[in-house]
Amino acid sequence: MRNHSLLGKIGIYAAVAATCGLLLFPIYWMFITALKPANRLRDFPPEFWPENPQWNVFADVLNSQPFGLWMWNTVLVAIATMILSLTVGTLAAYALSRFRLRGGQGLGLFILTSKMLPATLLIIPLFVVFRSLGLTGSLWSVIIAQSTLIVPFATWMLKGYFDTIPPELEQAALVDGASPLGAIVRIVLPVAAPGMAATALYAFVISWSDFLYARTFLTTSESKWTLNMGIATLKGEFVTDWNVIMAASLMAAVPIVGVYLFLERYLVGGLSAGSEK
Amino acid sequence: MKRFTKTLAVTALSLSTALTAMPAAAETLTFVSWMKGEPGYGDWWNEVIAKFEAEHEGVNVEMTKVARAEYADTMFTMFAGGNPPDIVHLAAFEYQPFADEGWMEPLDAYIARDGKDLAGWAGQGTCEWEGQTACIMLLYTAYVMAYNEKLLAEAGITEPPSDWASYLAAAQAATKDTDGDGTIDQYGVGVASTGGANMMHDILHYVLDAGGAWTVDGKPAFDSPGVIEGLERFKTLYAEGLTPRDLGAGDMRQLMKEGRLAIRLDGPWIWNIVQGAEPEILADLKLAPSPFDPPVGGTSNVIGMPSDISDERKELVWDFIQTATSQEMQQRFATLGSSPAPMPGLDYAAEAASNPYFTLFAESNERAAAAGVDRLPKGLEIEFNEVTKLLFREAQRMLIEDLSAEEAAKNIQDAVLKIAG
Amino acid sequence: MIDFSSPRHRSKFGYLLLAPAVLLMALIIIYPILLSVDISMKDVRIARIGKAEPWTLKNYAWLFGSEEFWNAIWVTAKMVLMVGGTALVIGLATAILVNQRFKGRSLARLFVALPWAVPEVVATVIWAWMLDSSFGVINWALLKSGIISEGIQFASNATASFYSVCFVMIWKGYPLVSIMLLAGLQSIPQEQYQAAEVDGAGVWQRFFYITIPNLMPVIGVTMVITTLWVFRDFAIIHVLTQGGPIGATTTLSILTFEQSFSFFRMGQGAAVGVVTMIICAVISRALVSRFANSVH
Repeated sequence: MRNHSLLGKIGIYAAVAATCGLLLFPIYWMFITALKPANRLRDFPPEFWPENPQWNVFADVLNSQPFGLWMWNTVLVAIATMILSLTVGTLAAYALSRFRLRGGQGLGLFILTSKMLPATLLIIPLFVVFRSLGLTGSLWSVIIAQSTLIVPFATWMLKGYFDTIPPELEQAALVDGASPLGAIVRIVLPVAAPGMAATALYAFVISWSDFLYARTFLTTSESKWTLNMGIATLKGEFVTDWNVIMAASLMAAVPIVGVYLFLERYLVGGLSAGSEK
Repeated sequence: MKRFTKTLAVTALSLSTALTAMPAAAETLTFVSWMKGEPGYGDWWNEVIAKFEAEHEGVNVEMTKVARAEYADTMFTMFAGGNPPDIVHLAAFEYQPFADEGWMEPLDAYIARDGKDLAGWAGQGTCEWEGQTACIMLLYTAYVMAYNEKLLAEAGITEPPSDWASYLAAAQAATKDTDGDGTIDQYGVGVASTGGANMMHDILHYVLDAGGAWTVDGKPAFDSPGVIEGLERFKTLYAEGLTPRDLGAGDMRQLMKEGRLAIRLDGPWIWNIVQGAEPEILADLKLAPSPFDPPVGGTSNVIGMPSDISDERKELVWDFIQTATSQEMQQRFATLGSSPAPMPGLDYAAEAASNPYFTLFAESNERAAAAGVDRLPKGLEIEFNEVTKLLFREAQRMLIEDLSAEEAAKNIQDAVLKIAG
Repeated sequence: MIDFSSPRHRSKFGYLLLAPAVLLMALIIIYPILLSVDISMKDVRIARIGKAEPWTLKNYAWLFGSEEFWNAIWVTAKMVLMVGGTALVIGLATAILVNQRFKGRSLARLFVALPWAVPEVVATVIWAWMLDSSFGVINWALLKSGIISEGIQFASNATASFYSVCFVMIWKGYPLVSIMLLAGLQSIPQEQYQAAEVDGAGVWQRFFYITIPNLMPVIGVTMVITTLWVFRDFAIIHVLTQGGPIGATTTLSILTFEQSFSFFRMGQGAAVGVVTMIICAVISRALVSRFANSVH
């Protein structure tokens, strides 16, 4: 990469500003809408900064709905999904990277299959599966379902990482008396840490986004709802308060965006290692 | 690394505790409803639940809200997966596929055993499915007209409209661009057009007024002159831009509250909803009888029990239904819902005294009932969602491709016959 | 206990490591697929799990004879091309842009991918409000700038609905494309560019002879992911248009849902779903092997 001329620089900044502006405007608009009083929402022309911002809308949402509880559930689901998919994905990726396994190729197809199913097709069979496991109404149902959809991606990304680590490293550890699992934990994982961070981010984002599964498996127990379900039910049959919906949405988006801001730096690195096959 | 492993282990442990923590093992009846938290009806359900829990120690009712837009398919998933809610609350136009599948426990044995008297119970006939009582009707109601007196007066309309011609004239006069920026920001009428049952009910006003009906003797009659006339009127309101476009019933009610909509035909719930408006707007919001004859009316929602639960639970659910349909709670229903309850013979003197429009609701109900009106197209109960969708699609096609009402009506009739066959 | 470090048991250890993944897949993916295939072969409105019904091809006969199905195929194909193509082009442009050297680059990278992290429910809520035909800010902006003279009816104008759905999908989906392409760009060895520059290759030549060929495998994977996402996506369309108007945004995924859950015709719904799955399998195989072969 060379340094750019002044004109080139201006061009770059202009392009970056335009791209970011277009991409981020909806998020700004969500924020502004949340702050407007309910009876000014439908003003035309719209206000771009409310003259009378209603900051208490956030407190109203928290007080009128068990929002904190839903947030906590969502956090639990996201963390558990992250741990489960990362664990299962790491083991599978390591196996595929180190062993010539019969059927290992077939797993590649498997990986794609999980991305192919219209989720709407899976709902009823999955409902039956979780009911026979006694997990409907439990956060585990969403965690397991989401993890399964994340494992393929995790496996794909981590396998790329593991392929770059010379097997001699673990063999040396084995010679030193480490167990096979110990060798993975102590030698391979630290090297693959950026890839794991990227996978963790992916798992967080995907599970935070889940709506269909939560709605299907957790409907009857409001104490187990996740944020997205809470937001969806705010849109009432009789009235729709867009400012309240936007405030709730904003609060639901803040934590995941925070995680994203923190882990984003690993994503590009993790992906580029993963794509070097 | 060691510290990392340790942190991971601790996190995993605390997570598994948090995830498996179960509430104390009291008996819990699950109850899903779209009405939770809504003004009026939501309060009524809370009272029913409180009374039931007071009478049944150790039994909880866990009420959960599911948005109306996702209601039917969520309930469907739960029933199909074999895990229905204990207390089944459904719209009167959507319980039939559930009953047809044998998912709803017939209530006849319970009714006979406890000698429950349902004679004269408004709309209860709709709960009969294949000769059995699948549910108990919770609300039979008729639509009224909500209007903004000030907006109509400013448009030179002093009397609330009383027929189609005056309704159209009022809509035309009240639709305007108040701030002169070139875009309409105040609308004469609010007709839902985002599909779904609400849109179908909103069109039904014009169909009934023109002497039509969706079905005649259980046979689809979408190409009958009355329906054609109804569609024509709907198209007029749209083509002239007298209603906001692409908005659902909920948004229309919000516009009413904000004083940007002059007229909206709606159920008695509109009264409870507009109470949330700013005082100076609320002062102008008035109700009047529907200008159309007969008014749209009909069965609204039902309560029942699933066939898939244990007998002991069924007894509890039956007790809950008994509580909800008891004289005391029916009276409360009239008070909180500000409209007559389905139970016959209640004394509404107190409600009529405290709510200026209670008598209007009661009279509208009688008008609709006397005309034998029901929002539900008889004979198409199982296919109702499909019919709704078809009607929506063809109504949109009529507006987009500027088809005549006759062509649209014929398209609907053909499509309905295809799926009903 | 088996000594897994001995060579004889090495591969057993490998299978053991794979077991959790396989178990999850079998439970959450394979079993539901088999069940769906089973339901799609039964002439039922509402399927009872475990209840034996004779198999029939009636649902597939309905499928191939119905206008709605072919319409859904057409809509899905258009949407895949539109969203996939646009996401690829602007994703690549964005990736190249934020791969340049400039102050605030890491901040820019952070922002361009932000919509990816916004939960889908939240994203659709925002866009549904912004695209509101009567009071939405988009219509206002278009009117104000003089592009249109009358507000666009996003929900009742077939073309506008289709493009607004595509637009929202691109907004939500393209950031991941640009991150993946950026990762791809960074793994291209710098020596190749330097060598080409020494040989006198211009910017465009370097782009076409070095960047694109090197990116091919990543582009392949990205395209598969985007394509499958458009095929699968339900929430965005369901909230914005419910598949309307007149079927203009009814994709296969929406059709599956509508048949199974709105019309209670699970047999037909499952048939649509199974066919969707087969189409996706064929496309992904074709895309992956094609792009993978082009470099190796």
